[in-house]
Amino acid sequence: MNLRWYHFAAWGALIAAMLLMPRLVDLGLMGRGTLRTMIQACYLAMFAISWDVLSGRTGYISFGHPFLIGIGAYGTAILSKKFGVPVELSIPLAVLITMIGGLVVLLPALRIKGSYFALVTLAFMELMYQLVQVIRPDLTGGTRGLSGIKTLTRGAENGYMLAVSLMLAVALGCWLLMRTRFGTALWALGQNEEAVSGSGLSTIRLKAMAFLVSAFVAGLAGAFLVHYNGSLAPRAMFDINSVFTIIVAALIGGAGTILGPVLGAFFLTFLLEWLRPFLPGAERFLVYGAVALVLYMYQPKGIYAIIEGGLKRLWGRA
Amino acid sequence: MSARLQVSNLVKRFGGLTATNDMSFTVEPGESVGLIGPNGAGKTTIFSQIMGEHRQTSGQIHMGEQEISALSTPARIRRGVSRTYQVPRPFPEITVAENIRVGLMPDSVWQMVTRGADRDRERELALAVGFAEADLDRTPAELSMGDLRKLEMARTLATDPKVMLLDEVFAGLTVGEIATISALVQKLRDQGMTFLIVSHDLKALEPLIDRAIAIDRGTKIAEGAYSEVIADAGVRASYLGGGGDA
Repeated sequence: MNLRWYHFAAWGALIAAMLLMPRLVDLGLMGRGTLRTMIQACYLAMFAISWDVLSGRTGYISFGHPFLIGIGAYGTAILSKKFGVPVELSIPLAVLITMIGGLVVLLPALRIKGSYFALVTLAFMELMYQLVQVIRPDLTGGTRGLSGIKTLTRGAENGYMLAVSLMLAVALGCWLLMRTRFGTALWALGQNEEAVSGSGLSTIRLKAMAFLVSAFVAGLAGAFLVHYNGSLAPRAMFDINSVFTIIVAALIGGAGTILGPVLGAFFLTFLLEWLRPFLPGAERFLVYGAVALVLYMYQPKGIYAIIEGGLKRLWGRA
Repeated sequence: MSARLQVSNLVKRFGGLTATNDMSFTVEPGESVGLIGPNGAGKTTIFSQIMGEHRQTSGQIHMGEQEISALSTPARIRRGVSRTYQVPRPFPEITVAENIRVGLMPDSVWQMVTRGADRDRERELALAVGFAEADLDRTPAELSMGDLRKLEMARTLATDPKVMLLDEVFAGLTVGEIATISALVQKLRDQGMTFLIVSHDLKALEPLIDRAIAIDRGTKIAEGAYSEVIADAGVRASYLGGGGDA
């Protein structure tokens, strides 16, 4: 895995900084609202990490990630609210069901790639959107969705601590995983699938593992998000804008780097939040699109590469 | 480290085109055989069928005693047959060392995750094909065609093959690079590696092979010592494109 001292230092600093954020609120340096925005950023970061594991490395671009997130969210919501399953059990079960959903997304990836694969995953999301409204609306809540779902935390600080701990654990876990030879194999898969097969590796198995890990993270984040919000609405869940937000977060952060998507998620969430007072409507997305485009043109490898380059220059000078 | 590669009555049809027509040949352990023929003769198609990248219409392929005709490409590689490609297929965004690492990986995700990379072996393979120490951290974008062919050889060797199929290993190389690759093949032959080599550069090919098989339009037209095969009237005609009576 080849870990160096600066990896430990960087992770240590990141974890300490994130966990100490609520103290800034105590000191009056930060509002509780900012903490709530950070909670949103943490969940977006997990979705972006999930997307990154599947699409950032292997090149199988998913346009239907809410399909997986939705399975996790609906899974635990229905189990806990309609069947009285305790949350401690409903969340792991929902994650398990999402992983089965990940294998469903794998099926088209066995035969098609590129834009065809992206379109099929988009179809999965639309299909899910229609299905939850039509099939057993008594369970899914139909068009209106579900509310009154058990929440796990009270208050911004507790919600933040839960979200940030989850996010850091997921980020660290995926980051370590991608530093193994498995991560290298996934990179290689995205660059030349035939050559991976020609090196004696089963590409189906590699893809299956990537999809399972991605689904695990999507299901986990989706399930915890629903128990934070306490409600679930299909229109918001299976929204093309949320797809784009996830992809843009991963891309402008730095696809394939795991940490990049986290940076991208925080950047995007705060950008949208800061724009809100000036542009309350959908115009915000225009600005966000423009910022993303400029950033992407400046450095296609994202914020991660910009920071990495800056640090290297500083290091070289010191 | 060697094994016998046997191709029996191999037929491959693409619609109405017969790309491989009842092809049979054997490569004995430790032997090096040249596969020659004009453009479009079906040499690469035979490689693709041996590797399982194209499924044969009929016929069998054996590695040693075992039939491999129905296996997947990775499974065939595990049985000890590996190939290079006419157009090198590196992973462009990862380093030379990481490219070789992919070839060295076991086909088990669990082992990929739990066991680290064998950097010594990566280095050893890179140096064996003629890379310098400093090349290990370069990416394929910075490499010349000769280096890309070396990388292709290194990644193929990393899969620990018993039989190596080399497809146009000299194409696009300078004289010096041809010498390097030739020396590498010779060294591996001395170590007992079995080869099946496709090349248009007959001059470079001749010293590397024990015998030759000439094919034209998917059909074997001659087999034997290189000098005999190349003197064969049918072989000369196929290269000159005279249709057999030139």
